[in-house]
Amino acid sequence: MIPLGLLSAGENGEIVEIMFGKGEAGCAGNAEHEKSMIRVEEMGLRIGKHVEMLTNGGSTILLRVDEARIALARRMAMKIMVRR
Amino acid sequence: MSTQLKRKEELEGEVMAGSVAERVITVAVAGNPNSGKSTLINAIAGTRLHVGNWAGVTVEKKEALFDFGGRKIRLVDLPGTYSLSPYSQEEIVARDYLVHQRPDLIVNVVDATNLERNLYLTVQIMELGIPVVMALNIYDEAQAKGYRIDDKGIEQMLGIAVVPTSATKRSGLDELLETVLRVADAPNQRVPKKLNYGEDIEVAAEYLAKSFRTSHPALLERYPQRWLLLKLMEQDSRVMDELNLQNLDFLDPALHHLRRAHGEDIESIMADARYSLASGLTREVLHKPELRQTELTEKIDKIVLNRFLGIPIFMAAMWLLFKFTFDLSAPFGAWLGAMTEGPFKRWASALLTPLGAPDWTVSLVNDGVIAGVGSVIVFVPVIFAMMFFITFLEGSGYMARAAFVMDRTMHAIGLHGKSFIPMLLGFGCNVPGIYATRTLENPKDKVLTALLVPLMSCGARLPVYVVFVSAFFPNNSSTVIWSLYVMGILLAVLMGLIFKKTLFRGEAPMFIMELPPYRMPSMHSLCVHTWEKGKHFLYKAGTYIFAVSVLVWFLLNLPWGVEHKRDSYLGQAGAVVAPVFQPIGFGTWEAASSLISGVIAKEIVVGTMGEIYAPKKDEKKEVPTLQEDLKEIGVSFGAACSKAVKTLLYLPVPEEKEEDRSSLKLALQGVFTPLSSYAFMVFVLLYMPCVVAIAAMRQEFGTWKWAVVGLGYQTALAWCAALIVYQGGRLLGLGG
Repeated sequence: MIPLGLLSAGENGEIVEIMFGKGEAGCAGNAEHEKSMIRVEEMGLRIGKHVEMLTNGGSTILLRVDEARIALARRMAMKIMVRR
Repeated sequence: MSTQLKRKEELEGEVMAGSVAERVITVAVAGNPNSGKSTLINAIAGTRLHVGNWAGVTVEKKEALFDFGGRKIRLVDLPGTYSLSPYSQEEIVARDYLVHQRPDLIVNVVDATNLERNLYLTVQIMELGIPVVMALNIYDEAQAKGYRIDDKGIEQMLGIAVVPTSATKRSGLDELLETVLRVADAPNQRVPKKLNYGEDIEVAAEYLAKSFRTSHPALLERYPQRWLLLKLMEQDSRVMDELNLQNLDFLDPALHHLRRAHGEDIESIMADARYSLASGLTREVLHKPELRQTELTEKIDKIVLNRFLGIPIFMAAMWLLFKFTFDLSAPFGAWLGAMTEGPFKRWASALLTPLGAPDWTVSLVNDGVIAGVGSVIVFVPVIFAMMFFITFLEGSGYMARAAFVMDRTMHAIGLHGKSFIPMLLGFGCNVPGIYATRTLENPKDKVLTALLVPLMSCGARLPVYVVFVSAFFPNNSSTVIWSLYVMGILLAVLMGLIFKKTLFRGEAPMFIMELPPYRMPSMHSLCVHTWEKGKHFLYKAGTYIFAVSVLVWFLLNLPWGVEHKRDSYLGQAGAVVAPVFQPIGFGTWEAASSLISGVIAKEIVVGTMGEIYAPKKDEKKEVPTLQEDLKEIGVSFGAACSKAVKTLLYLPVPEEKEEDRSSLKLALQGVFTPLSSYAFMVFVLLYMPCVVAIAAMRQEFGTWKWAVVGLGYQTALAWCAALIVYQGGRLLGLGG
């Protein structure tokens, strides 16, 4: 299990945990984080989904989920755990 | 709200009483961003689209009323959303409309290449109990990818009509509208199925429904029952507040089992239930080919988003955007300007004088209305050209990449990558820059970006610099002008940081966006969108400008029979304001008056100074005839076309004779020193945005608030900066 943000370009993974916002100690009460997390899930990044890293470098990463390309802040990608 | 609702029911009653053909069928169009929704709407409605804003928010609202098959259909485009949760302005707008206005029917535009995620929204839409027609859009691309989609299967499982469409190829549109009519005429047979959200949720919903039916029967009448119950279970803050349902004593017992079995967070339990319905349905109806091909989009992205190539490619794209925009449009702007200056004014006097109009009316029309509105008209080509190329970049999918590439750089001033584009456009003209902020999603970013755009030194400020630099800094003119551009950028960075710490506090939502596949936008949709973006400028800014031009004319020509500009109201105002400019080096009524008039457009500063310092001699010119005028207009239009093409291709263009301003130069040298002239230029760079820019801000944000903030902070900034330059320079012994 590694953070999604550490996959290198071309690698695939399955999302196993999203450690973000909801109920997480320290993050509780951060409405913006929670919003961002809900957005992440709405855009199809959910537990059990297979993702492919397209571009990893800089503060934003690019993923492929199904047929959509989702650009994501690295800070968020570090809180999504995947199994390679 | 209840009265509003009652009125709506009455209205509907009246409409029902009329014949069937008279009834307007209201169709809301909902779908994910990038599902081809706006292309679909443009293909159906074309120029009949009316673009406005949703009340009170900066979200764009599009509507169209048209006839199809002898019936009247009103299309209402809802903002593109991924869900109907209450977390973004777009989602709130969409769901408030669906819940409160209850359209007859919802067309759900679904991206066939991305079924699962799009169906997540579909599942939520179905909760509302309004008949749904699904436009299975981008169907051609899905087929090209080798997807097989069982659209009849979707119809059966969801109980909604499904029509494959391809908006870019304009196929399936008639079938879609025919289906809309068919469903609208028999709404009761076409109620979407109630989907099963799993036993635990359904049991809780049933329990809740029983208690709620006795406690709030009226609410269940008024709102979609299923939707209301699910929202109650999610404890949706917006619904609870709006309907005053914070203290329901039976809510906790109803949710008790659900919480014990699945955890505290009911909202995400529900989201999971919806998503698993969407993904289960996708598994049933979608057959993908075994092998996935690497698409062209991915190949292009490898280059365009490359860590090292990304920014240079972006810069090149922007340079091309600029070059195309200004090279192509500038000659036409000049042509329009010459036309309003010459023939139009002559024609107006020729028309008015024989009618016995007094001189002042002729002057009002010529020097006020035509000159003022003319100064706006010259912007039309540049704005439309710029909007056209921006639309192209958006439609092709590159704009989203630009935001991706620039994100890190823009973080330095607390903005997202997307904000870079409006700022860059601001160098050409602040007005399209401000309009371009509508491509930003976050309202905070929109406002902050629009506030910073006027610090980019626009083309209209250049004439002012040119006159002063040639009078005072003839030997290092380009360095001086460059320093002003750089000063604008540095102050934008500074102000960005200050605003972020004060007016726009709070963490920005983190960057997440979808990069759509690259597509070649069709000429038709390019033109429709360009017109949509540009016409605001024509209509709204045009009316403000008109009013202000008339006002300024009066200020310059009142009291009646004023002989000297000094004695006009503008001159008097200049004299009153002048002391304010004393500490920054130019406390004369002439400078003050021209700065006041420069508010209309900054290049007017030069024009007014010219008028004040070098009074016009009475020239008797040969007045051309109407035929000569018309011929000249045609010839100069041809010349403009050829000039546009030539500059674009770097062919040499004969230099036009620069207007002789030597008398103005001499006059300026008598009044300003090099130091005070630099302070003056700094002031012109920074002081309040021109009225067109202010009007654009007013229009984009729906209130005067931000326009006033922009006006205030910039004028203060301008004064302070000029003060530092002037007094600092004096202290350093650079002369005063």
